[in-house]
Formats: sequence, C-alpha cells, structure tokens
Amino acid sequence: MSVGEGLTIRGASALGLPLPASGYARQAYGNVTPDFGPATWLRVAPDGAVTVFAGKVEYGQGIRWGLAMAAAEELGLSPGAVCVVLGDTGRVPWDIGTFGSQSTRHTGVQVRRAAAAAREALLDLAAARLDLPPDQLICHGGHVASQADQSRGLTFAELLAGQEVVREIAAETPLKAASEFSVMGTRTRRVDAVERVTGQAVYAQDVIRPGMLYARVLRPPAYGAQMVSLDDSLARRMPGVVGVVNEGDLIAVLAETDQQADAAHELLASEWTERAGNISQWELPGVLAEAAHNPVTTQEAGDVEAALARARHRLEATYYIPYVPAAPMEPRAAVAEWDGSSLTVWAGTQRPFGIRGELAQFFGMDEAQVRVVAPEIGGGFGSKSLYRPAIEAARLARAAGRPVRVAYTRGEEMAWSTFRPAALITIRSGFDGDGRITAWDYQAVHTTTDRPMIGQRGSETPYAVADARVVVASGVAPLRPGSYRSLGCAVNHFAREVHIDEIAAALGIDPVALRLRNLPDARYRRVLEVAAEAFGWRTAAAPSGKGVGVAIGLDVGSYAAECVAIDVQGKEIAVGRVSSAIDCGLVFNPEGVRAQMEGAIIIGLGPALFEAAEFENGRLLNGSFARYRVPRINQTPAISVALVGSEANPSTGAGEPGIVPIAPAIANALFDRTSKRVRELPLQRQL
Amino acid sequence: MVNLHVNGELRDAADPRRNLLSYLRFDLALTGTKYGCGEGLCGACTVLVDGQPLRSCLATVASVAGGRVTTIEGLATGESLHPVQEAFVEETALQCGYCIPGFIMTAVALLARVPQPDTGQVREALAENMCRCGAYPRIERAVLRAAGCER
Repeated sequence: MSVGEGLTIRGASALGLPLPASGYARQAYGNVTPDFGPATWLRVAPDGAVTVFAGKVEYGQGIRWGLAMAAAEELGLSPGAVCVVLGDTGRVPWDIGTFGSQSTRHTGVQVRRAAAAAREALLDLAAARLDLPPDQLICHGGHVASQADQSRGLTFAELLAGQEVVREIAAETPLKAASEFSVMGTRTRRVDAVERVTGQAVYAQDVIRPGMLYARVLRPPAYGAQMVSLDDSLARRMPGVVGVVNEGDLIAVLAETDQQADAAHELLASEWTERAGNISQWELPGVLAEAAHNPVTTQEAGDVEAALARARHRLEATYYIPYVPAAPMEPRAAVAEWDGSSLTVWAGTQRPFGIRGELAQFFGMDEAQVRVVAPEIGGGFGSKSLYRPAIEAARLARAAGRPVRVAYTRGEEMAWSTFRPAALITIRSGFDGDGRITAWDYQAVHTTTDRPMIGQRGSETPYAVADARVVVASGVAPLRPGSYRSLGCAVNHFAREVHIDEIAAALGIDPVALRLRNLPDARYRRVLEVAAEAFGWRTAAAPSGKGVGVAIGLDVGSYAAECVAIDVQGKEIAVGRVSSAIDCGLVFNPEGVRAQMEGAIIIGLGPALFEAAEFENGRLLNGSFARYRVPRINQTPAISVALVGSEANPSTGAGEPGIVPIAPAIANALFDRTSKRVRELPLQRQL
Repeated sequence: MVNLHVNGELRDAADPRRNLLSYLRFDLALTGTKYGCGEGLCGACTVLVDGQPLRSCLATVASVAGGRVTTIEGLATGESLHPVQEAFVEETALQCGYCIPGFIMTAVALLARVPQPDTGQVREALAENMCRCGAYPRIERAVLRAAGCER
C-alpha cells in the first residue's frame, strides 16, 4: 500500500484494549468494537514537517500540547514544530474515547514510540548518506548530523526527498531516558494557545457549512413526557422556515438562520402526557435508602461484623451527595452533511469513533461511510462522551437534503446532558484508642441504574483495615447518569474522607497524623506529607477553630492530597488557600499537570460549596446560569501544586485526581472552623 | 439597514433586529465570539463597542448602529498579538479556551480604564465572566502581566 512520499510510522491502535467485560466504557457506551490497526501515527512529509495523528480529542486538558512535547522530545524538535491531528475518524488511529485520564499513559507512550521510530529511521537514512554509523549521529532541530561535526548534516527534507519510507512502531525502539529529557518535564509554551486567544480555534458551535440550515429541536417539558399532539402550522408559516421535521422521537424546526429557527420553535404548539411517579430532589435520599439493587462487593477482608462488635470505639454516619451537571462553557453542537451515501458529522464529542459507530448503526451504513470530526471542544469534563446532537443533526440533514446544525442552548445543555450521579453512603467503623481503624463497613447506593461502575470507582479504602467490607449498589436514576470528572471516585472519597476526619475528631487526634497511622502505601503517604508541609500544617485535633482541613485521594492510578484553609461568613464559605500534591508517575508536561490540578480544584469548589441539580416533577429547576451558580475568579483560592511523582513509575492520569480530595477537605475545614459536622453536599446549603 | 464598523470595516446589516452575536458569528463568520448562555450571564460573548464591553448575546445590531465593534479577531495587529493576548499565551491562561475571548475583551476594557490594576480590581472586573476549566489563577496573572504589574 502506498502511503505517499516521506516517512510514515505505523503501529497498533486500540491501546489498552480489549476492555474487561465489566469495564466502565463497555457498560456505559455499549459494545465497543476496537480497530487494532495498524494505523499511521506519525508522518514526516517530504518538506520535513512532522505531523502526529491520535484519536484523542482536545477539550481543554492540553493533550495536543502533551503529545507534541512527547514527539518533539524523541525527534529533537521544539513542541511548536510538531503538528498534532486529533479526533477525526477519517484521519487518525481508532480510539475508544477521551476519558479516564488515559491519554498520556497510553496514547502519549505510543506517540513517543512513533517519534522514536521516526528518529531511528532518519538516523538510518543519514547513516547511509553520510557514511557514518547511526550511533555517531544526532537528530536535532530538524537535522540529522554527525555528533563530532554538526556542520556535517542533512535536513529531514533532504533525507526524505523522493523517498517513501514506512516503519512500524516496535516495542524495542529505544526511548530517551528521563535523564536526557530536554522537552518533556520542562515548562513549554502551549502549542495551541495562539489560536485560542485570537478566536481562530474552531469549536463544534462554530462550524458553518455552505447551505447549512439551523435546527431547533422540540424538547419535552419534563423527563419521560410523551407527546399527545403537535400543531406546527404557525411555525411553518414563519419567515425563513424551510420545514418542520417530525420523525416521532425527533421533532425540529429547520430555518435559514438561527433566530428564525428559534422564533418558529416558540410557535410549535404541543401537548404532552407526563410520566407519573417522578422522583423530586428532596425525595431522593429516602428513595435510595429504601431501594437499592445489584450490590457489588468491591472489597472484602475478614469478618467485619465481628470486628465491629469487638471494636473499642464505633462510629456510624450517613453521607449524601446530590446530582451535579457538568455545565461546560460550550453547549454541545453538531453539524451534519450528507454527500450521496456518505455522512460527515462535526461533533464536539469525547468519543468520535463511538459516535461514528452509533451513526453507522442507526442508518444501517458501513462505518467507512461515516466520518466524525471532533473539533476543539469547549469543556466537557466527561459529559460529552454521550452526545445526542450528532445523531439529531444527521437525521435532520437527511430529511432536509441540506447540511444541518443542531446547537444546544444553555438550557438544553443543562437539562438534556448527563449528570454526575447522586449517592447515599453509610459507613460503620471501629477503631482503637490510638486511632487505628479495626473495622470498616461501607455501604453505598449510587443513582447509576445500569451503570454500576460509575459508583464503584474509588470505593475501596486505602487504609489498612483487617476486617473490611465495601459494597456499592445501584439505585433509581431520576436524572440521566453520566460521566463527570472522576465519576463516583470523588463521591466515594467525600464520604470516606469525612468519616476519617470524624474518627480523628472523636479521638482528639490530628487528622493528618491519623491518616498516616493507617496508611500503608508509601506513595500515598508522601503526597499527604508534602501537601501538609507545603500548607504549613500544624498538628492539632479538630475543631481547632482555625478552619483547616485535609483529605487525600487516589484516582486513575495517581495519588493526590489537599490541605485547605477556609473562613465562614454567614452562609458563605470562602476558601482562602489550597496546598496540593500529586504523584502521577513520570510527568510529560509539568505545566499541563499543574493546570489540571488547579482546574480540578476550582471546578471542585462548585459541588463542594453550592452546585447541585435541583429537580421536581421531572423538571430541572436550575437549568440556566441565572439559577445555577458556578465558581468565579473572585472566589478562587491561592493554589499551590507539588509534583512529587517518580520518573521510575509509569505515567498515570492527571486530569481527575485533583477533584477527588477537595470537597471532603473543605467539609473537614468547615468542622474545624465551626464545630459543625456536615455530611451532605453542597456544604453551603447546610449552613 | 444598519451601519456599523466591525474590526475597522464598515458593514451594512440588513436586519436591524438581528442579534449582534448571531450577526457576528453567522453572517460575518467571526466565530471567535462565543455563545455560552444567551442571557448575558457568562461573558463568553463579550465584545467591545466604542471601547466598552458589551454582552453581544443581548444586543441587536440596531442597538450598536454607527458604533465601532471590536471582536477577538480584531485585537491583533497582523501577526503581532495584542499585549493581553500575548500575556494569556505566556501564562497558559486557558484550557479549553471557549471562555477566553470574552475574558480577553473584558480585560482589554479594564486596562483601558485602569492601566495598572491591583489583584482586587482584576478579580472584580472579571467576576462576571465564567470559566469552567478553572484557568482563573492564570487568567489573573495574565492580566496583571499585560498591565506590567507582575507579582
């Protein structure tokens, strides 16, 4: 097969697959069918330009930057010299989706290998041309030159002129040792920043196609409502309206402009039958306490009931964490365009290949006839894995015979996206007078219906307990459950880390000391010690009145600890500063990890302090920014981030761990400040 | 017909009731100005009209008739970025970047009014702009850097 002039590096796709049958992605998104490749991961064009191809998407986490740094390191380039093509199913290797903080640890390593393979190929070409052995050559700045005499060299373009070279990525291709890094591990300029500050970056909301129609979809007035009748006669007569599509489960106005579509949508007259028995927000904790199904034991050791019976001290408490919408800045949008029997959809989804499969299945097409392009994505935090506008736009475009844009309003984004599931968690613990935990019984119900994996994540206790039982069950889901930064991990950690604080307070032991007394994992201990030291933690039992709190977390293989200082004024909690530490193994891009930690802490302030979905009778009550408060710049604490990972450990996730400890750390600080123990989020509603 | 200047170019808008944000994004293809909420609450659609920040999602073209509208696309001069844009790049003051045009336009207006703001003034001026990725500390540093008030 000809791949064109220049150097092409091919290798396996579907890294880290097949997934376990019980895995989250398989449960959440159906039967994923991986394409294992081989696919093109890297190209050096005849003019010497380097392009990396990867199936991940960029939704703020900076993966384009990280992958450019990885390739630049192995090829001796600056990151800005590497073009990275992402998320276009027509151009990049198959990928399961951008979630679970997998991008650096799987794709990043594969891109490094691809770039190293390219370097080896260029060294071989130069060795023949310069009549020197490859180990006496250096690849740097777009040249391969003699180490002894760097004026003896050839550019990538000179090496590749008229050649078609194809290499496979091999596991044995040597990667640079961490001690030789000159790009990875250093502070670099984000490669895609200029497009973002000049308005040139194109998001799904920004895609405009020739002849495109603007759609406005009719949504039910409440979850589960069924349409009884529709009168679209007025809407059809409105200026600019091309038609009203009614496919039963998809009704939409199509017009020549967005405003014309909005105006006609207002005139659709519809009657609905609402579902009986909708659960409202205040009923949910009681419902979860009554009815749980599909309990899964995620951790079991010894005999927890016997250990509780003989424990010197016992504590039982119940914690409630409500639903939270992700509320990304960019409401989801898609543009679909048919060309004969082939379909292209621009969609800001975290799962372009998954959405391609869904489109192909719906229309009974071969996947090769469907191309999904994920442009820049204006935030998602997990919620853009499920992505309904793609299929809506494709159906409407088929009906109209013209390209169609479906762009959610803020209200649609809030109400018709997905939510971090709510949970009710009861913990019974036993412990001795020195603060050693001797019994641990953890019973959680998450509103996950058929996706119990969401709630299981992070449920196991990291504290050494001989007799422990952790059971996670599913409960009814009045709102649609979906992914959200760290999934159930932050939810489970809230209950556990507050409970640990309660044990410390019951015994009058410093909460940092109590954690260290029960924590065997050296990496875990180190992040806690580093965060406490950076914070200037002074040993004291809570409540000290100072308003300091601590919590730790483990997610996607990475360890995090956070110490916070707060103040309370009336019903407002002001978080003054956060000292954090993370161990995510070998760090590709330290600025990227710091930004992810800061971002995870700041977004985490919302669900900790004031964010929650309010719903009643099948309606979201706070589905607009007028009714939904989010953290603002003037409430942002001073944040320090310590990177304490060892380069000897493989890279693990950095996007999610930072959100895991923040809510319990603040709840614990609230107790330290006010002596009031709050076991329900968001905290400010309990003041 | 409404006349207005957009990034220095004289434009005729046919429909005076045309929403300014939609006009900029879909009629002029200036998609750097973003839709976030449509209620003037998130700041993603902020443009400058005669130097003053305006939530374009709540405005009609008629309401800015004769005005000089500056969008994010109109800030740089050729290849050279506006100092506020440059500072956002230097401080990596962005993640997904969707809110960033609104922050930059608001910051440009602040610095025109208060050339040497302190941290409190920066925070106050930007408190009505939302960022969900949590780039706030870096945005604050970038605005101070652009003003030559680096901490």
